[in-house]
Amino acid sequence: MSETTYHTPILKLRNIRRRFQLGETTIDALNGISLDIHAGEFLAVWGPSGSGKSTLMNIIGLIDAPTEGEVHFEEQDTRVLDDDALTDFRGKKLGFVFQNFNLVPVLSALENVMLPLQIQGVDELLARDRASAALVDVGLARFKNSLPDKLSGGQRQRVAIARALVVNPKLVIADEPTANLDSENSRMVVDLMREMNRARKVTFVFTTHDPRLLDHVDRKILLRDGSIVSDEVTA
Amino acid sequence: MNILKLAFRGLMRNRRRSTMTLLAIAFGFSAISLFAGYTHNVYDGLSRQSIYGEMLGHLTLSKRGMRKEGKLDPERYLLTATEVATISKLVQDEAHVRMVSPRLALAGLASNGRASTIFIAEGIDPAAVEQLRKGALTEQERKSGMFDSMKALLDPVHPEVVNFSEGLVELLHLQTGGQAAVLVNTLTGQANALDVTLGKAFNTGNAGSNDKFAFISLALARTLLDAEGRADRLTILLDDVNNTVWMRDRLLAKLTAAGFDVEIKTWQELSDFYNQVHGMFDMIFGFIFSIVLTVVVMSVANSMGMTVIERTREIGTLRAIGLKRSGVVKLFTMESMLLTLIGCVAGLAITLGVRWGINAANISYVPPNSAGRVPLLIDMDVMRTLFTFVLMGVVGTLAAYMPARRAAKKDIIDALGHV
Repeated sequence: MSETTYHTPILKLRNIRRRFQLGETTIDALNGISLDIHAGEFLAVWGPSGSGKSTLMNIIGLIDAPTEGEVHFEEQDTRVLDDDALTDFRGKKLGFVFQNFNLVPVLSALENVMLPLQIQGVDELLARDRASAALVDVGLARFKNSLPDKLSGGQRQRVAIARALVVNPKLVIADEPTANLDSENSRMVVDLMREMNRARKVTFVFTTHDPRLLDHVDRKILLRDGSIVSDEVTA
Repeated sequence: MNILKLAFRGLMRNRRRSTMTLLAIAFGFSAISLFAGYTHNVYDGLSRQSIYGEMLGHLTLSKRGMRKEGKLDPERYLLTATEVATISKLVQDEAHVRMVSPRLALAGLASNGRASTIFIAEGIDPAAVEQLRKGALTEQERKSGMFDSMKALLDPVHPEVVNFSEGLVELLHLQTGGQAAVLVNTLTGQANALDVTLGKAFNTGNAGSNDKFAFISLALARTLLDAEGRADRLTILLDDVNNTVWMRDRLLAKLTAAGFDVEIKTWQELSDFYNQVHGMFDMIFGFIFSIVLTVVVMSVANSMGMTVIERTREIGTLRAIGLKRSGVVKLFTMESMLLTLIGCVAGLAITLGVRWGINAANISYVPPNSAGRVPLLIDMDVMRTLFTFVLMGVVGTLAAYMPARRAAKKDIIDALGHV
């Protein structure tokens, strides 16, 4: 584990099971996963397609609830939170980076980054300042007025990272953030996330199926058929 | 979040669809406000026609029972000369009263010496006719010249000169300046005939009365009925039509206190035609309004439904990064509200343009039961236009509520995975 880790779990998963019903077929996507994620970690979840990576990320990101098991975020049992409270919780504590960037196409890069702050009711001027600073951090200051369709894939994902970081989250969840990028941009995005992790002490959890990207992480968890096969600290 | 900005830009995404919805709203709004403007003009014209054209005045005062029993027993129900003078004085003392004029209606036979036909006549003071006629037409209608034939001015110097309606003149083959004879029963039932000179013929504006109506001076009417100084009613002209109802109540109280057993009717109570037309147009307006509202609701709901489907992934993203369900509903209803309001403003612009064009085109038509052409004019009915604006805004916004609620209820993971 890296020197930035505080050995305090910010997220505790206990015996997580996630079952999906597809017609008459029941699919067990996660089979009793228990996991602690510590503050400041740079953690990769990897494994083959269908191993349950995205399902696990959805549960960590509090956008899905397990069929069984407990999710504690900073000692808060998330099972007791209703939808509004959970939404607030996500907005303040979590950042999301999506495979398809998921930027709002009619908003500029700056406005996209401002969005989570404005959802929280942050004053527009303050939101603008913080979003501008976040864009500077990801090296896109001069593209702040560009619409997403004027940016390259790598640039869009950097905007998405800025959007995830602008709320000063405890944890950033990135589900296959490099899946739609070429190898050079994939590397740049992972480097950027790593840089932010170190500079801001923000915890990152991301999924990938590209083994080359695993060289950069503190910890890698291999999933197969909904179970943790290995949990390896590499740094 | 600057939800207004996001909503506005959301509308700009699919411009063609937004434009089509906006046009549906705009033309719907325009159709309603133009029809409201047209009916406003018709109501206004009919009210002026009733008050001034038919010379009902704003209020009509008569002895209680005159309207029902007066024809059978005129002697009993006619106001006496003393009553006419005293009541006129009491009424005239009121600040909002412009004119009080005694009236005397009669019916009889008109003859050209070879043939006779029935006629009904209004005996009225020539000065009162002039005053009543002044308010009959708007400046625009006066300029159009279409109502010139309705003018019937009695000659105060020559009370024997009578004005027959155009149909009556035609029926008896008479002409202006010619002679005719009229025969009526006096109050006591005696036959009384007089030779009269014909003044300028006029058009009553009503096909049913244009072949039998006549205006004669009050003096001549009193002579024919042998009813010196008497009147069957008093026509009261006020300074403003809006004072009609409360002035009726006030005058009734005043005259009752003075010991007179009279009844006072407003022009609206007496003008059946006005009430029938008003009722009919109100019903048509309601019908058109319902259709347009339905079209607007369907258009907006369809547009918003499509928008929600197209932006499913965005909804998922917004929900993931902290937008509550209520925020999603607010976002889409705000879009809908913007669309509806912009549509209404565009509709208002269309209304003003079309209204200007129609009013400038000098178009005329013959309305039902009318003896002449009237100009097609469109007013600005501010109250109903405002009402339409507000109602369409509310309904248009509500139309988006169901699709917005559906969007808000979407599962975040499903929404994020939507292609």
